[in-house]
Amino acid sequence: MNPAQHVLKGAIVTYQWTLRPFIGANCRFHPSCSHYAIEAVTEHGAVKGAAMSAWRILRCNPWNAGGYDPVPPRKPGLNRLRPAASPSAGPDTRPES
Amino acid sequence: MDQKRLLAAIALSVGILLLFEMWNRGNAPVPPPRPVATQQADVPLPAVPAPATPQVAPGAAPGAPQAAGPGETAVTAAPPAIPAQRVQVENTRVQGALTARGLSLDQLTLRDYRETVEPNSPNVTLLAPRGRPEGYFAQWGWTQADGRTPVPNNDTDWTVTGGPLGPNSPVTFRWDNGQGQIFQAVVSLDANYMFEVRQSVENTSAEAVTVLPWARIRRERTPQVQGFFILHEGFIAVQDGRLTEMTYSTGRDEGNSRRALGSAWENEAAEGWAGLSDKYWLTALTRLDRNERIRSAFRHIPDAGVDRWQVDIAPAAPQLIAPGQSAGFGSRLFAGAKEVRLLDDYRDRLHIQDFDKAIDFGWFYFITKPFFYALDYLFILTGNFGVAILIFTLALKILFFPLANKAYKSMSRMRLVAPKMQEIRERYKDDPQKMQAEMMALYKSEKINPASGCLPILVQIPVFFALYKVLFVTIEMRHAPFFGWIRDLSDMDPTNAFTLFGLIPWDPPLFLHLPIWAILMGLTMFIQQKLNPQPPDPIQQKIFAWLPVIFTFMLASFPAGLVIYWTWNNLLSIAQQWYIMRLDAKAQAAKPPAQGGTGGAPPAPKGGGKLAGPAAAKK
Repeated sequence: MNPAQHVLKGAIVTYQWTLRPFIGANCRFHPSCSHYAIEAVTEHGAVKGAAMSAWRILRCNPWNAGGYDPVPPRKPGLNRLRPAASPSAGPDTRPES
Repeated sequence: MDQKRLLAAIALSVGILLLFEMWNRGNAPVPPPRPVATQQADVPLPAVPAPATPQVAPGAAPGAPQAAGPGETAVTAAPPAIPAQRVQVENTRVQGALTARGLSLDQLTLRDYRETVEPNSPNVTLLAPRGRPEGYFAQWGWTQADGRTPVPNNDTDWTVTGGPLGPNSPVTFRWDNGQGQIFQAVVSLDANYMFEVRQSVENTSAEAVTVLPWARIRRERTPQVQGFFILHEGFIAVQDGRLTEMTYSTGRDEGNSRRALGSAWENEAAEGWAGLSDKYWLTALTRLDRNERIRSAFRHIPDAGVDRWQVDIAPAAPQLIAPGQSAGFGSRLFAGAKEVRLLDDYRDRLHIQDFDKAIDFGWFYFITKPFFYALDYLFILTGNFGVAILIFTLALKILFFPLANKAYKSMSRMRLVAPKMQEIRERYKDDPQKMQAEMMALYKSEKINPASGCLPILVQIPVFFALYKVLFVTIEMRHAPFFGWIRDLSDMDPTNAFTLFGLIPWDPPLFLHLPIWAILMGLTMFIQQKLNPQPPDPIQQKIFAWLPVIFTFMLASFPAGLVIYWTWNNLLSIAQQWYIMRLDAKAQAAKPPAQGGTGGAPPAPKGGGKLAGPAAAKK
């Protein structure tokens, strides 16, 4: 993990422990947006992870069904070739099964 | 065991916070408004604006022997015996005096503002003469840029024409240096807080001279600051559209690290102003001629253990005045209260760039400024700023009701199925993957949207923060009464549970301050929390449970207006949530769902056949 990832994760955890109890956990997804963000940043790096998280928050509104929406796994080969993949990789991932 | 340790940690943290608070207040210098019989010019003014020319050393080095300007030459052993001539300053809003010795505005009281809520308390004193601990003044002068032209200094007795200074009655100060240069300053004042000073030098000698005119604000001590991150106090400037804020402590650090340069901050710009900002008061300088570039600086001057603060402006370059010619510099000084509409007016009419930013509206300027206007409108309408706060908060809540409605609706349904969820959680606690799948299947079968989502909530945060900020910074809240015992919304609620509200005659330390409104705030917060779903994490749950207590103590010494706002906001949230839950419960009772949405006893666990794949739950 690089410093940017650490900073982002620190910020998210801080949010979870301070602001979140106030405004309530209102996420329509599982895992929640903040947990999703931590995982996304850890898995996909600071830039892509942040973009994925932002897109997830934007989707987390009453007009979206919500539900189970895990962080998509990193595609090993592809990721190396195209590191700056578009954030829209978030929504159209299907969990295995 | 861990929880006990956690609780101990929380208790300790709260204790440290409170102790810090107490220490902070205890250490803050209390303004001594004692009338000291002062003598002029007995305190050296070591710093003058650094001339732009490099051959003249910056004047910030205290007591340096260089003849850089009035500061150094003013270090005299004995002050002159004759009292300085003073020129009265008066309009309907201010009262004060200029001193003809050293040409400075060193006395100014604001007639519309009093120090305390008591009706006969003294008016707020903004400026005070040099030599007093609370010394705070504006001064105009010149620096010799050619190293030989005698310029006026702190002991110079100027010849006064006119006076007293008031709207439409300017005063002229004149001084002849005896070597052919005649210095002049024409001071005028508008109907509010704006002074205008036109400095000029007429060169009647046969040789050209080079001087640098300047205007400065000087503060002889560090004022008591709130030290709170949402309010800026200290140096402030807008230069070419860019806002620069520097606190006193940063100013000290910057001043120390830039000691050789003589300033904590320095900038040349085509447009702008610079000054010193308090929570409610401001002194600021800007140039008069819109086509002239100015150089502005913040300075920290350590002087025998006392921090002195200075803001100065000057033309971008020294002025070369040929024989028979004259040159001038015009500047404006604002010294008064940061009334939003007045600053707006100066910004538009006198073209002082972003002058309203002297009020710390913050990052959310585009929300906070309109909020201010709305609150001000309600204030004028109702005549009570507390009532204005209540009405405005209610209006905001109504505006956000559709969003929140959706949120609370799902939240209350969530509570009804909570036992089932708990059941699933326990059954599959060894298999998180399966647990989530079950959970999503439950959501699907109950047709619940667990929440309204993060986005609607996140949208509301800046709005309510902006309101909080407006309440914190606006002068309208100052000395504004509310009902009952609240006589000043900007001050803390004076009641205290630890004295049984005045029954026990003792004066507890500040961390044992527990006023009624803070208790009400804590109660409403507690109830609101009870209506919210608990966070899943047990440690977080514990913290959650302690938050109302922590916040009650933390907000105890906050301005009462903010605590009232917070309480009212909680109360509205509770009412809203209770209303929606009741509606929802009715709807549930009207058409009993297959799974029985009673929320009472946990229903029989669902079989595996109910288990839908997570992918199915998604669509």
